[in-house]
Amino acid sequence: MTLDQVFSITGTIAMAGWVILAVAPRRWPLLNALPRLVLPAVLSLFYAAYIFAFFAESGGGYDSLADVRQLFTLDELLLAGWIHYLAFDLMIGAYLADRLDKVGIGRLLQLPVLAATLFFGPVGVILALCMEGSVRFFSFNTRGLAHVRV
Amino acid sequence: MSGYDDAAACDPARGPSLSVVLTGFSLALLLVSLSAGIVDPRLLDGVPVWNKPAKFALSFVVLFGTIAWLEVRLSQPWRTGWLLRGTMAVMAVCMIAEMGYIMMQAGLGQTSHFNLSTPFNHFMYTIVMAFGAVLLVTGIGVFGYAAWADRQANLTPALRIGTALGFGVSFLLTLFIAGYIGGRESSLVGTVGTNHSTLPFLGWSTEVGDLRPAHFLALHSMQILPLFGYLLDRWAISHRPVWVVSGSVVYTAATLLVFAQALAGQPLISL
Repeated sequence: MTLDQVFSITGTIAMAGWVILAVAPRRWPLLNALPRLVLPAVLSLFYAAYIFAFFAESGGGYDSLADVRQLFTLDELLLAGWIHYLAFDLMIGAYLADRLDKVGIGRLLQLPVLAATLFFGPVGVILALCMEGSVRFFSFNTRGLAHVRV
Repeated sequence: MSGYDDAAACDPARGPSLSVVLTGFSLALLLVSLSAGIVDPRLLDGVPVWNKPAKFALSFVVLFGTIAWLEVRLSQPWRTGWLLRGTMAVMAVCMIAEMGYIMMQAGLGQTSHFNLSTPFNHFMYTIVMAFGAVLLVTGIGVFGYAAWADRQANLTPALRIGTALGFGVSFLLTLFIAGYIGGRESSLVGTVGTNHSTLPFLGWSTEVGDLRPAHFLALHSMQILPLFGYLLDRWAISHRPVWVVSGSVVYTAATLLVFAQALAGQPLISL
């Protein structure tokens, strides 16, 4: 397998997970285990393979920006870094969707969060936590009111 | 689906109100814009590029927060009726379109209002931003109407009048003032040099007339006037309705004066 092929395969795996998160019904546990656990685990194995095989060869490390850049000078590790994004973003996306489900924020409103997590990882986290926080804040502060649907 | 675990009074089948979720959504956009502003050195017309998304996001936090505050005080038929739910859905779409474009343009280092440079920008400003803004302020008007018409609403007397008037004034004055600004090529009245001095964060001119302070006052009557009504109720002052109505008239007049001052080419605050 060439690196480009691995890039394409891992990208497809991740996208399958995102599609399930975005549109599949949440009531089928086996299907929903894919974006939550199975696909991130598969991607993690791809990552582990490349990072262990090529870390030493790159001569890079984690202790300075220059060392990190040195890691990424190797295409295998650039790919590993990318797969790291794919795996973690998907897993975080699933986690955020679960949190939003719990406070009753529906699928339509989850879509911007999932899109933000897919494209800009941590921005999706900020969006989801602020939305959930807002719901919790308002429900906490309106308990005294007679008729409340926050 | 575990339903809603944090507030027994909430209807789990419906989920939280859109206004509440959008308050948090806008807060996230505010935090993201402020963060980008810290590391982005680019200026646009002398103002940091991320100031505008931050200002708009803050304004949306306050807008949706105020609507959420009102919504929980309305009676069940009004809150769950098609009018307010439909209004809120339209406002959500408009907010996402406006903020999306404003943030994208900030990222590109371009203006989002008055930008007719490409067919896409032309379309976004003259159609999406213009209609979005009109629908958003019309939504404010609809909620003001609800505050007035819902006799079962959990609002004290002056608070009810202040809310209805505040939202109504916000709707009418913003439609008028922002509509006027939209018909121009800039919110500034007068010519400025490259070292144009502005107020920090707000970005309002301190050299020439700037129509944005009047736009700001118009829009935020929906917070000021309800607060005025609330305080009158709290202090149990006599003739409260007269006070609220007078306060609204004075506020409207002051906003129009600030507007006229800008049209005359005078800055609100000159440094």
